[in-house]
Amino acid sequence: MSIGGSDLDKAITQLRACRPIPENQVRELCYKARELLIEEGNVVGVDAPVTICGDIHGQFHDLMELFRVGGDVPDTNYLFMGDFVDRGFYSLESFLLLLCLKVRYPDRITLIRGNHESRQITTVYGFYDECLRKYGSANVWRYCCEVFDYLALGALVSGAATSLSPTDGPIADNTNIDSLPDPDSEIEIETLNANGEIMYRYARNSDSQSNTASQGTSNPASSSPIAPTPSRTGPAGTGATSSANGSSRNDTGAVLCVHGGLSPLIDTIDKIRLLDRKQEVPHEGAMCDLLWSDPDEIDGWGLSPRGAGFLFGADIVKCFNHKNDLSLIARAHQLVMEGFKEMFESTIVTVWSAPNYCYRCGNVAAILELGEDGSNAGFVRRSNGERGGGGGGWVLGSNDGPNRNGGGGPNDNRRLSSVLGDSMQRTRDGPGRRYRVFEAAPQDSRGMPAKKPVADYFL
Amino acid sequence: MASLKSPRESLEVLDPTAEHTFILPVKRIHDGDDVSFFLASRAYADIMTFIFQLNASMFPRKIVDEAESSPSTKEWKLQDPDVSFPPIVLNLAKLLDTLNAIIDEVPPDLGPRRFGNVSFRKWYDLVKERVSGLIDQHIPSEIFTSSSTAEVTAKAELEAYLIGSFGSSQRLDYGTGHELSFLAFLGCLWKLGAFPETENGGQERAIVLGVIEPYLQLIRRLILMYTLEPAGSHGVWGLDDHSFLPYIFGSAQFSPAISSPSEIVTEGSLPNAPNPSDVAKLNVVERERQRNMYFSAIGFIYDVKKGPFWEHSPILFDISGVKAGWAKINKGMLKMYNAEVLSKFPVVQHFPFGSIFVWERDPAAITIAQSVHTANQPSKTVTPSARPQAPPLRDPLTETASQSTRAPWAGAGGMPPAALAGASSRVPARATAPMPSGPNQPTKAPWASATPVPPPGGTTTAPWATPGGTGAPSTLQSGVPSTRAPWANKRPPPS
Repeated sequence: MSIGGSDLDKAITQLRACRPIPENQVRELCYKARELLIEEGNVVGVDAPVTICGDIHGQFHDLMELFRVGGDVPDTNYLFMGDFVDRGFYSLESFLLLLCLKVRYPDRITLIRGNHESRQITTVYGFYDECLRKYGSANVWRYCCEVFDYLALGALVSGAATSLSPTDGPIADNTNIDSLPDPDSEIEIETLNANGEIMYRYARNSDSQSNTASQGTSNPASSSPIAPTPSRTGPAGTGATSSANGSSRNDTGAVLCVHGGLSPLIDTIDKIRLLDRKQEVPHEGAMCDLLWSDPDEIDGWGLSPRGAGFLFGADIVKCFNHKNDLSLIARAHQLVMEGFKEMFESTIVTVWSAPNYCYRCGNVAAILELGEDGSNAGFVRRSNGERGGGGGGWVLGSNDGPNRNGGGGPNDNRRLSSVLGDSMQRTRDGPGRRYRVFEAAPQDSRGMPAKKPVADYFL
Repeated sequence: MASLKSPRESLEVLDPTAEHTFILPVKRIHDGDDVSFFLASRAYADIMTFIFQLNASMFPRKIVDEAESSPSTKEWKLQDPDVSFPPIVLNLAKLLDTLNAIIDEVPPDLGPRRFGNVSFRKWYDLVKERVSGLIDQHIPSEIFTSSSTAEVTAKAELEAYLIGSFGSSQRLDYGTGHELSFLAFLGCLWKLGAFPETENGGQERAIVLGVIEPYLQLIRRLILMYTLEPAGSHGVWGLDDHSFLPYIFGSAQFSPAISSPSEIVTEGSLPNAPNPSDVAKLNVVERERQRNMYFSAIGFIYDVKKGPFWEHSPILFDISGVKAGWAKINKGMLKMYNAEVLSKFPVVQHFPFGSIFVWERDPAAITIAQSVHTANQPSKTVTPSARPQAPPLRDPLTETASQSTRAPWAGAGGMPPAALAGASSRVPARATAPMPSGPNQPTKAPWASATPVPPPGGTTTAPWATPGGTGAPSTLQSGVPSTRAPWANKRPPPS
């Protein structure tokens, strides 16, 4: 049988309802996916606008929440940075849905490989067990692993706008409107909650003074963390927005997306392109490092506590970005409580898209939207507000969820600086970055399933 | 599967008058074949005997009262005022209290961190520093005075198991291998004659209720305080992130009453026991966790996890559908413990052997045909592991041959039929994670197993050394499961 056309749409419908598709369809899907993926380079070229997502880990309902918050496929272009499977209950449904979408809309969705997309890791961290349990055999696991071998190792996003066109969304309850930069200033970073309400917004600012402001000790709501001070190309309110058209500042470097990070064996992106990726993730070497490494506050390279990959410091990132004309590296791989975290003067960002990871970490999730250069119109508009209750107004970095905290307290600043790193300066202007932050999907809608037959031990 | 028949009714006490040479316990299990040997060893037989004996003691008892026409039933609850604790049990509980109090001396580190809290290392170091004195203080010295001529004392041998009971200070994780070490510590005390003889399982019951339960409480506090990761996590597909024993003893507590261990049945429940399906009912869990170890463990899961029970604990949820009662669950838990803990290389590889738990073939052991479990272990020969989930046992970095054969998908062709059968069985439950690769830290490479991460404070950047500055990777508040490479890092840092 074939899974083209309407069959594929049926499979998508079924998977969106969180119901696995039959084994023969999985086989067909995986075959098609491999045909598609084999044509992709190790580093996939992606044009902005695109929404970049981090780890999913089988949290299917939260993936649905991600699509609700970020827009559906194919209306929004997506780039998923790996770790679709393991740990969660729905690795199978999550990965197969993403794969179906990839086959159905190959130009709208990009999937790159995470360290969990591996035979060895999935046998230890749950996906293998899940396939056995859901299908009674390891066949589906095997098909999926064959697809893993073909996933790209990275993606290079080009054409991202330097500044964001402000959303016209409402201001979140806890956000003091006075703290937002002048509407005419060039917006570099904007953070929205799951209802599309503005939590924070920052003007692009080359003046390090503003950085001090963002780390100020007083409540940001009253201290106007980033004033619309003059940008490099002109005074606030005059040249800032126009700089998106034609000025040298418009020339933002590309954004490299990779699951883990850098490798001491890779100093140029072209070297990634030379790797033979169609294999199980090796235990060492460049391919392994790209999927396993982590940035850390060190100089140079360090041993990773994970037993694979390396730790790398700010100097490594800055040097790599400069050499490869990158303005930013986007990566996933590490839980961050706030959903995203910029480090090393915003030269690298960790994006994490699995809220309340493992049912117990209490973190929020985030996705990163990069707009299209020139038009600034890359963001697909969509209505928000389908979601009743649990609305906006919660504070970035809070673990308490929307309704449980008292709003912007004195800690906001600390949280803010911890998320955005210690400085806005860098050698190359980064793209405008819109983060949408969301929490775990509500659970009440999931009915209790029938119990499965127990393991042999209990028969 | 190895026979679940206990060879003896209770663990044999060493003859205090006989010459005995104590040995500092050492690691003996290096690959899958060693696991097979272990399953036929005297140490294994002792461990099984001890578990069966403790388990039997937790079954409710029929009380025959001459005056009554029908026998009444006595069940054994947590905090049961009818269970009397002998001095040794009270002393062990005090020892655990002391370890608990040390937690108060070492508050969790507030700095940014990635996974488990580094303050656990301070707690652990303090325990190591004080454990010898604590043993002197709480364990009567008579039991150490057997006629040993060698330099190694019984106390030293015992201490190795105790110190191995609290998780890994390097990996900041805890799992069933550590729990097993505590069981062995108690087994050592038993064999050294620390527990006076009693009848009808009184001693064993005192051990379970008076020592093991407080130990589990201590462990839960450690896990919460220092966000210890589950050692070897199969995500939602494991029985429990950290523990196994409470599910054994707790299910025994709710099984039908017996007069003696020979009456243990494999079906049915104590009349007033909750239904197994009640684990999904929060109000019942809150009530039953006060008296029952199974529910106490379930209650802890509810404490730390948010979300539907059947989703974050599907194996326990499925077991809650067992219709044949708590005795059936109890028997299943014993089988599962045997298969998923004692037969799993990643769990038992760190278990050390000495003169009390002996690395020698048990003459009474039935030769274990290649079972699903042993077939899954790494082997010295080239047999690929049948069930891919069997964690890689050997260090691939040093053993290229095994590395090349390990690909699990390649197994279909070459694996033994028995192993294949096992592979298709639906047994996702895995209570235990590969202990070596602290599972839930940032994903560790499974092959990293045997090799520990570099010690903190080493010359290279200790990764957990809190990065301190503002830009530090933010992190966790709760144990952040991040994945570790199962193969450990042996590579020197580049340049």
